[in-house]
Amino acid sequence: MIDSAKLSHTAALILQTVDNGCSYGFDIMDETGLPSGTVYPALRRMEKEGWIASEWEADKKALAEQRPARKYYRVTRTGAQVLEQSQKRYPLLGKLSQKSRR
Amino acid sequence: MPEDPRKPWVVAISQALVRGAAPLVPVEQREEWLREWRAEIWHRWQFLFHTHEWNRREKFLLLRSALGAFADAAWLLASQESVRTRISGTARSPFTCLAALALILIGIAVGSSGLQATREMLFRQMPSKAGTLTFIWLHHYLGGSDKGLPADVVPAWDQGSKLLKGVAGLEVRHLPVSFAGRAVPENPLVISASPNLFDLLGIRPALGKFPAGTGVVLDHRAWVAFAKSQRAAIGSEIKISGQPYQVAAVLPGNFEFLSRQPTVYLMERLTYERKAFIAARVKPGVNESQLKKDLARIAAEVCYYYNLQNQLRVSTWREALLSPLMSFGIATALACFFACMAFRTSFEGIKRAFEPEQRKAAAGRTLFFLAKTGLALACVFVSGLEWSRSESSVLLASRDPGSGPFLIWLYVLGTMGVLFWAVADQRARCRVCLRLMAFPVRIGCPGSLLLDWSGTELFCSEGHGLLHVPLMAPSWDEESDRWISLDDSWKGLFAHEK
Repeated sequence: MIDSAKLSHTAALILQTVDNGCSYGFDIMDETGLPSGTVYPALRRMEKEGWIASEWEADKKALAEQRPARKYYRVTRTGAQVLEQSQKRYPLLGKLSQKSRR
Repeated sequence: MPEDPRKPWVVAISQALVRGAAPLVPVEQREEWLREWRAEIWHRWQFLFHTHEWNRREKFLLLRSALGAFADAAWLLASQESVRTRISGTARSPFTCLAALALILIGIAVGSSGLQATREMLFRQMPSKAGTLTFIWLHHYLGGSDKGLPADVVPAWDQGSKLLKGVAGLEVRHLPVSFAGRAVPENPLVISASPNLFDLLGIRPALGKFPAGTGVVLDHRAWVAFAKSQRAAIGSEIKISGQPYQVAAVLPGNFEFLSRQPTVYLMERLTYERKAFIAARVKPGVNESQLKKDLARIAAEVCYYYNLQNQLRVSTWREALLSPLMSFGIATALACFFACMAFRTSFEGIKRAFEPEQRKAAAGRTLFFLAKTGLALACVFVSGLEWSRSESSVLLASRDPGSGPFLIWLYVLGTMGVLFWAVADQRARCRVCLRLMAFPVRIGCPGSLLLDWSGTELFCSEGHGLLHVPLMAPSWDEESDRWISLDDSWKGLFAHEK
């Protein structure tokens, strides 16, 4: 049983946003309206907890497009379980996920 | 997506901000962290540029987002075990406790224009022959607040008492005032007083002449606030509660009487239905009971007010001015008494602590306790004085419910709170290094005592010892908390903490 009680509403919202497909910091900021000073520490914490994982895109692809490589985040299996519990705790989050899937 | 060759200054500043925050990030994570932030800023700029949304608002938002790099870096720094240990070690240190109290005191000083009320109380310029200047008021048998006396006792005492040299009545109110046709915002303080008040106080006007009959005298702050410091204010019309009067004089800038607020003095004969506080000059050698007896006799014979003797309150100017200091002293003494009663079981332990071989450590602990308690008490005293009396009467404190009983209760509860906190804090500290104890561990088994654990043990993070705190202190135990010193063989266990 994963303890989702320590997940605040803001953190759950960020986790939900990552699950909805926003995979980098500024995209999450745009989607949630939260400032970078909230989003990035939350991402670090969730990564430390193992709820999300980060991955650098291939340098080769970025170089070909003459731009710096980007770091992408995705929800892990544990993170998905935490999110499921959070959706029970914060029912609006569940609706947010259904809406984005539709 | 080709990069726009001209890198705007907003992007350069954003990247500089990120570089500025980078030293906070632990070295092993720094490069990757910088790479991620730089890439994010670059992509955001390029996206907005190519979608033609690179406007002033977006530039500002990018700068704001770059500032978030500091919060991100600080989080990474604080999440490190060694940093967390250092922070909690610093928070537990006795110096942090003293520094926090000193900071609170500085904060109070800054928030109260440099401890204005405290300075006024301690260094106020006394009127001439302040020792003989006395205030008289009424305090009813059945309690309640302090009240003024019927104003017809003023001429009766002035003519009938051989113990007084002069008497003036004064009534303190907030009334609507308009000067030069303009209403003064918020009803200012208006003191209706007998025309001889300033002669009695030994004050000379800075401008104009004190009126012999009815007239208005402005204090210096009122003259600056209402008349913009114009000399032409003398002789001009001022309306108090709609009644017109003439400004006759302005008081000197260094004169302070009841309040720091701009004050208008309405000099007039006070009739019997008015309730007046009395200012009087007492002849040398007259004591309080003689004075009360004489004044009560005259009030009964001339004005038919009986049984006043036990209801009269008399205080000299100095006493009235220093009354908060006295209240605070009494409150501190009371708090000390209650603290001694509550912690009497610790006396044996304190006595043992001063045995010759431990005297040096005990002296350090005592010094810390005194410094901590002194600073906390100073915070209570100063904050009470500054914030409960800033807008109310400085003398005759209990005239205003916000400055009399409130202040006394604040001092009683505040000093008691400080002393109990100081003792409890001292008990929760290491007996050697005075750091707050850490790592609380429940001992015994649940259910052994009233369905709870039988006690808690706390450790000094430096490994000096452990404190055993039982859940319940039995009445026969002289010192319920037990300190167990740890020798050097335990040091290895705490090595990682340093």
